[in-house]
Amino acid sequence: MRGRIKRNLRMVRVLINLRLQNLMMFRLGFFGPFFVDSCVFLVQLCVFEVIYSNVDRIGTWGKGQMILYIGTFSMINAINMVIYFFGINGIPDKIKNGDMDLYLTKPGSPLLRLTFERINPGSVPLLFLSGVIISYGIKEGGIKITPILVLGYVFWVAVMAVLYYLVEVLIRSFTFFILTSGNTIILEEAGLTLCMQLPGIVFYGVYKVIFYVILPYGIMATIPVQFLTGELTLSGALWGILVAAAFTILTAFVWKQGIRHYNSASS
Amino acid sequence: MGLRKYLEILKIFIKTQLAWRGDSVIQILFSLTKILFASLLWGTIFAGRDEVAGFTLSSMMSYYIISSFLTQLDMSSKVSMEISQRIRNGTFSKYMVLPVNIQGYFVAMEMGMVLFHLIIYFITSVIWIFVFRIKFVFTPDPAIVAGIGILILLGLFFMAQLNYYLGLLTLKYEEIGLFLMIKDNLVAFVTGSIIPLTLLPEHFLWIMKAFPFYYVTYLPSMLLIGRLKGELGMGLLALSCWCVVLQAVIHVTWQNYRIKYDGVGI
Repeated sequence: MRGRIKRNLRMVRVLINLRLQNLMMFRLGFFGPFFVDSCVFLVQLCVFEVIYSNVDRIGTWGKGQMILYIGTFSMINAINMVIYFFGINGIPDKIKNGDMDLYLTKPGSPLLRLTFERINPGSVPLLFLSGVIISYGIKEGGIKITPILVLGYVFWVAVMAVLYYLVEVLIRSFTFFILTSGNTIILEEAGLTLCMQLPGIVFYGVYKVIFYVILPYGIMATIPVQFLTGELTLSGALWGILVAAAFTILTAFVWKQGIRHYNSASS
Repeated sequence: MGLRKYLEILKIFIKTQLAWRGDSVIQILFSLTKILFASLLWGTIFAGRDEVAGFTLSSMMSYYIISSFLTQLDMSSKVSMEISQRIRNGTFSKYMVLPVNIQGYFVAMEMGMVLFHLIIYFITSVIWIFVFRIKFVFTPDPAIVAGIGILILLGLFFMAQLNYYLGLLTLKYEEIGLFLMIKDNLVAFVTGSIIPLTLLPEHFLWIMKAFPFYYVTYLPSMLLIGRLKGELGMGLLALSCWCVVLQAVIHVTWQNYRIKYDGVGI
């Protein structure tokens, strides 16, 4: 077990080195994802600044909580952009044109390779920007920070970043079974667009089922914020862990079945 | 005779849309996202009050239905993307050899796309009104509606001009794709398609009035829900002036930069 972890870590290090060498050759648009994504979150910040200049609360949340929510979603998105998005996003094309053969024949886990082979250091400033937004939210919300709160918050952000990754892999793994996963990726995009703008506390009824269970973007930034503001209930925390565990099992199962189902340049 | 060429282009693009039906479905899905966003956000906010910045929940939702419809109709961002990509890969020559004015070609193209989608998006908007049980607020004055129609057409033309101009900048700056992505996000905010601009502080609103984006989506939407009636004339005048100014800028830009195009791509 220890040997396997060591081997995988060495592989991750090699993949990161290769990616950095590649980026040095193709410098065009290095900071592109940073500019585009930071613009999205800054506009969102402006939108809620404007709304809160007209109302004092949205549901039970004040301005500080909403800024924290935007900062947290931005942080999870930044982790996604820096580490795995660009690798995972290419899965459907690799399945369709048969490039997955290459990953299956190489030593090491194909998913591990896909996850880390296209890290994007150009998005690192997004992490700092998210940190600034989170600090602003903490100040605005008058939250007193303790080491326990910081550790708990980091834990929840890490869990939700993994959940984000699992959902991305799961959605793209459908390409193993159907000709194109384009429609599911569009659904993902629509769900993400909505949940980036709306905290989980506004969902009810069928919307809650969709965004808490099926496409759990509704809980991704909500739970870390609720933890930081002391609003997270035990049932809420258990639900967050349960969803992350369920998606881990589901994604692992679908991925393994997909690899078995894959018959080279089948499409 | 001259106009007939553009009419043919328009007809071709109406037919082309039939091959790209999937795009309409995606647009409809994103319009649903927008209405759902408005319904959940403003539904929660209005749960504790009757009015926000002069809006009731009905008028707010009506605003989103109309602004979402108008935002969908503006398909001009495809123009800047198309021009930019063609210049970058050296195939913009395709448009240069056509016996038509290139800008006229793109305006006719957008008109074809808009005409095809007009009915679809209208029906979708009506469906959203029923699905989300919106008490739709609409101005009853036919004269105002006619004026708004002109304002909307001017707005669509202005956006087509703007995107054509931005596309042409590729002749000089080579890589503008990143800027175009950022532009789309900013335009969504300043045209009032994310939130009504009236929620902004008063002095910001005055600054916005000096720019054309105020008149593209926000003002027509507000007029159609029966507000800001006094601003229609001003809107028509301001947007017409912006169209004239931008046309002059396009002319100068094209004359200066077209010689930089070598047709081999980057």
